[in-house]
Amino acid sequence: MAYIEIKNLKYRYPKTKDLALNGISLSIEKGSFTGIIGKNGSGKSTLASAIIGLVPQFYKGAYGGSVIVGGQDAATTPVSELSKSVGLVFQNPFNQLSGAKDRVYDEVCFGMQNFSIPPEEMRKRADSTLERLGIYEYRDRNPFDLSGGQMQRVAIASILVLQPDVLILDEPTSQLDPAGSEEVFSVVEDLRKSGITIIMIEQKIDKIASYSDSIILLDKGEVVASGTPSEVLSSTMLESHGVKAPAVTRIAKALSFRKPDSSYPVTVSEAKELMDGRLSFKEVQSTPSPKGNEVFRLENISFGYTPGHDVISDLNLSFDNRPTAIIGQNGAGKTTLAKLMKGLLKPGKGRILFKGKDTAEATVASLAFSIGYVFQNPDDQIFKPKVIDEVMFGPLNIGMNQKTAREKAMAALEMVRLGDKAERNPYDLDLHERKMVALSSVIAMAPDAIILDEPTIAQDDEGKAMIREIIGKLSEQGMLVVSILHDMDLVADSFERVIVMAGGKVLEDGNAREVFAASESLEKAGLELPHITALGKALGAESILLDENEFLESVVRV
Amino acid sequence: MKSISLYRDNGTWLCRVHPFTKLMYIAAAIIVPLLLGTLWAYAVAIALDIALLISGKSLKRARALIIFSFTIIATIFIIKGLFDADNLTPLFSIGSVVFYREGMMKALRTGCVIINMLLSFSILVLTTKPEDIADELERHGFSPRLSYVISSVFSIIPQMMGTMDTITDAQRSRGMETEGSLIKRMKAFIPLITPVVTSSLINTRERAIALEVRGFGGKGKRSYLKEWEKHRGDKPMTIILALIIVSAAVWRVATWLI
Ligand SMILES: Nc1ncnc2c1ncn2[C@@H]1O[C@H](COP(=O)(O)OP(=O)(O)O)[C@@H](O)[C@H]1O
Ligand SMILES: [Mg+2]
Repeated sequence: MAYIEIKNLKYRYPKTKDLALNGISLSIEKGSFTGIIGKNGSGKSTLASAIIGLVPQFYKGAYGGSVIVGGQDAATTPVSELSKSVGLVFQNPFNQLSGAKDRVYDEVCFGMQNFSIPPEEMRKRADSTLERLGIYEYRDRNPFDLSGGQMQRVAIASILVLQPDVLILDEPTSQLDPAGSEEVFSVVEDLRKSGITIIMIEQKIDKIASYSDSIILLDKGEVVASGTPSEVLSSTMLESHGVKAPAVTRIAKALSFRKPDSSYPVTVSEAKELMDGRLSFKEVQSTPSPKGNEVFRLENISFGYTPGHDVISDLNLSFDNRPTAIIGQNGAGKTTLAKLMKGLLKPGKGRILFKGKDTAEATVASLAFSIGYVFQNPDDQIFKPKVIDEVMFGPLNIGMNQKTAREKAMAALEMVRLGDKAERNPYDLDLHERKMVALSSVIAMAPDAIILDEPTIAQDDEGKAMIREIIGKLSEQGMLVVSILHDMDLVADSFERVIVMAGGKVLEDGNAREVFAASESLEKAGLELPHITALGKALGAESILLDENEFLESVVRV
Repeated sequence: MKSISLYRDNGTWLCRVHPFTKLMYIAAAIIVPLLLGTLWAYAVAIALDIALLISGKSLKRARALIIFSFTIIATIFIIKGLFDADNLTPLFSIGSVVFYREGMMKALRTGCVIINMLLSFSILVLTTKPEDIADELERHGFSPRLSYVISSVFSIIPQMMGTMDTITDAQRSRGMETEGSLIKRMKAFIPLITPVVTSSLINTRERAIALEVRGFGGKGKRSYLKEWEKHRGDKPMTIILALIIVSAAVWRVATWLI
């Protein structure tokens, strides 16, 4: 018998109509790496919760079928007992810190104390695990002071010291910046080699493709496909279940490069094996997009949170109507820059002009009329018990009448495809939907410029496609869209102008092709190439290829 | 990170004294003068508090507390000195305002109680890590949940206050005035406080799950990473303090009986 055996598992959360899990049967062997993919709401996290017994023990609700983990029934064995066999790491690193310990070391030992592990053994395990995850040097730091990637590694360490047979990672990098994600992925890579059983839920399909022995595709609480990465990701019905195949697979499919077993390659190395030397690339000419009218002008801006410590120094920048992406690592000064533009922070030196007027004189609330800002965390703003009222809050504040406000709000909700949820309580929606509520609440105010802080976090492929569409629509309407982004694929195919920041300075400023050609600056800013671009480069393209169409137009099979 | 815990490890002996010894000291410092009932007892207790704080190099940090309490005590002196029901004997007067002896004595007593309490508690609070108090309580049979609550509030409350700034920014960005007239600020209250409460509920729920999967809810035996290094005086001191409390109580009962 396999280590995890799930038979006809059905589950419904309390007070909901639809089954979150609908007849799932699967088995997972010891030592395997299983990837679980599927769009938001397809039941991935619920399945993870069922394996560790949180479903049904913690969430209650209606439960049928059986989940057997290492011979124990997950429905009835207490979670605290099952957690000896199964470890679970989830998205938000911050909420996984116990909050009771002010040293990383003590935090990591917190779980072991619950399992009555003797102190010497605790120390031994903590030392070796911290070492292994590359966070030994932080052991005396306060875990709350660490970066997202470091915090997430502390969370993984806190689970690994319990020496579970299976480790479940539920989108562990979805809330991290590129460097943080890399830190976590390199840990995952290392664990994979060590042979521990891993179940990984992940939206980053390229990663899952290269790690997994087998992949399970979920939709509406059902297993719609399972098999090797090639089998599942080559399948034609993948997109109809809301998942985009890896860049490699899409290109190989379009050019009909099949592996001997007639499936398509799913990793860059597989693709290279098949396609190397069999492609010839034409040069792609860059068409510089014309500058529009100036909207923002930042003159000699300096700013620091603590005196004598400038986060941004002597910055000169101007924004016209082109949709603009700002990229760079956390701490590069992106959010600070955005907040300065919005007037939430006042520059220590220099001035900021919006349509020729100095913003220093206006209050934030009065600027709301012309500059919109969408915060990262929707829960920092949502307070109305009804979605529509939440979205109407901004429009009413800036003096629209009830009727116009309602119209604008409905239009904005339609744009994020939440029109049918206008009367719902925002807290009954999932995080990715709440993010869309927050976005539409700013769109409804019809500002001249809108600043988005990490709009793609927590979004799946469909959500990202929707954001791409919204950016297009808004700039068509003449709105300036400025977005801080970590998703290079979206940067490459949706923005006419890209600004690379590092250490409070602008390293590069140009169109996507120019920026992604500047490999030195990218490395300095700790950024990666978009997947398509990287694939083109690996296969010998001279030009920077930004998206699938461009790739296919410039290439011929030889 | 900002922590609202007042503890600093300044390396003095007072930081290494067991939390229970300090708790016993607080008990003694508060109960004994109460039982003896004379102002002298308070004077001795306060002197002891101050001496301990000085030798633990923590008096400076207790100053803010003392200054704060003085404003309260001054108010008590004025109210009692002027208006207490038992006031009979004038003590002194400022202009036409007369302060009475009886009220002033009551105020003095209340002031002593407050100062003594504050100082003795500050010995514990300034020189002991909340986590250590919690751990020791847990090890001696208190519930792990209680101990978790004690040690986590100190980091979770500042986190919550941190989100307050972001929330203010988010609502201001949507055109809500947060400055200006009282009415404007009252109107801003709900949009500011609701997200704090709801997002901390969401966080708490997630954190509860995270604790659960680390075996926190388990009923089994627990172990501890740190073994408290007993300061050599801990045990005798605790016993002596307990004896002092008991003898004060005996003395009190005896004086009643006689
Ligand atoms: N705590 C909950 N209460 C009620 N419904 C929930 C809860 N968590 C998730 N759901 C619902 O269950 C379904 C599956 O969600 P989830 O497992 O989170 O999917 P995924 O992890 O694939 O995004 C969704 O329809 C979601 O709205
Ligand atoms: Mg999920």
